[in-house]
Amino acid sequence: MSGPRQKLREVATVAATALVALFLLRQSARHPGELGMLDRGVLAVLSPVQGALSSVGRNIGNLAGRYVDLVHVRTENETFRRDNIRLRAELLEAKRGASETARLQRILELRDSITAETIAARVISVDTSPYFRIARVTLDRGEGSVTRGMPVITPEGVVGRIDRVAGSTADIQLAVDPRFAIDVFLPRSRGRGILRGKAGENGFRCAIEYLVRGQPAEVGDQVMSSGLGSNFPRDLPVGRVTRVIKAGTNGLYQEVEVTPDVDFVRLSEVLVVVAPPPAADPEANPRRTAAPARGVVMYR
Amino acid sequence: MRIVSTVIIALLLVLLQATVLELAPVQMIAPACGILVVLYAAFSQQWSLSSVAVLAFVVGYLFDLVSGAPLGVHAFVYVMISQFARLLTTRLVVRGFVLTAGAAFVAALLGGVLVIVVRAQVSPEGGYDGLGQVPIEGLITGLFAPPILWLLNQIEGRLDPARLRVGLARRRRRALTHAASNQRP
Repeated sequence: MSGPRQKLREVATVAATALVALFLLRQSARHPGELGMLDRGVLAVLSPVQGALSSVGRNIGNLAGRYVDLVHVRTENETFRRDNIRLRAELLEAKRGASETARLQRILELRDSITAETIAARVISVDTSPYFRIARVTLDRGEGSVTRGMPVITPEGVVGRIDRVAGSTADIQLAVDPRFAIDVFLPRSRGRGILRGKAGENGFRCAIEYLVRGQPAEVGDQVMSSGLGSNFPRDLPVGRVTRVIKAGTNGLYQEVEVTPDVDFVRLSEVLVVVAPPPAADPEANPRRTAAPARGVVMYR
Repeated sequence: MRIVSTVIIALLLVLLQATVLELAPVQMIAPACGILVVLYAAFSQQWSLSSVAVLAFVVGYLFDLVSGAPLGVHAFVYVMISQFARLLTTRLVVRGFVLTAGAAFVAALLGGVLVIVVRAQVSPEGGYDGLGQVPIEGLITGLFAPPILWLLNQIEGRLDPARLRVGLARRRRRALTHAASNQRP
């Protein structure tokens, strides 16, 4: 008698798990980016582990690179091996320090160049699933001031936008995610279109849709953010045209493939644009002419 | 106990996978480690149908949190995959390199397509983009399946209290040998 009962219990458990998963899906579709108490709790436990593993991984990568260099030196000149080892190690250390300083310097320069308020964040993981192009970051400060939809940038260009936040951890929907869209223009031809992420055969690629054929794009054209229809600052580099797929003779639009300027694999620090720039005070300097449209548009 | 230890192993695999990929010089596609853990449980006769489903749900849910996917996408897909794999085991004995790799390939293929279909329903703006990657991910998952499943089998063998009781685990054997050597004059 216990056989059929046991089987029924098993089937009921399977059905219950499927139903709970469907319920979670429904909630995600209704309130994208929102996390419950349990999700936040689990993320609070997982994020430090993820961050620690990422840090260990990077250190191992640095060590491996250093080891390869040391082996190379040894084969090159056995006599000066010890000196070479020391000098190379010092040089590598100095280079690493210099590149980190330069990277942070560029982040600071970008921060100064845009008038909007920004928060720095450190990347702890990128792209765990090929179907969801997401990077996870920990915020240096400003916990609670980051919300869904805020733009994320680096000195190289547009990174993406905030997808969901849990405490000091935030997920960025990268510009190469198929769900991402931003209004862009090509400075050379003044053509405008919508840039969308392109998950697929080539990895990190985007495509511009609705680019009118009258303003032909060429391979190598720079693509910039237009600042329209979203909260991204204007004139931020997005990427370069790598392929132009001509539409049919009757087609209105041309399809263009874009390679982002940002190297998403090597992403380490980013800036989150948390607030639009302060409004200009008309009384402060009445003679001054209006500045060209640049900066962050108001949030919707 | 078994579910908890398997979930922890799955979580570590997923986190390690993300870290190792970060070190890779070029952007790569990784094997679907979550699916492999689910397959391991589904192929094993020691796991009941319900515990396989619960494990699949928990692993999927954690993968959703780690990967930043909308909550429920992988949880739902992994439950479906677990049931598909269990159904497969009623018709086929999945043993050996070729059969394990083949079954993992099919499961990863199915999982990839399901993830994209579910994603298109949850956030339609993404469409069905990424279908081209599914066969490649399936192939890589298939190649990695035999060693990872073997590894999981070894780990579970060491943690299984039933096997410890009957003295099949190496740790238990070693402890008994050690105790016997201590008793000798």
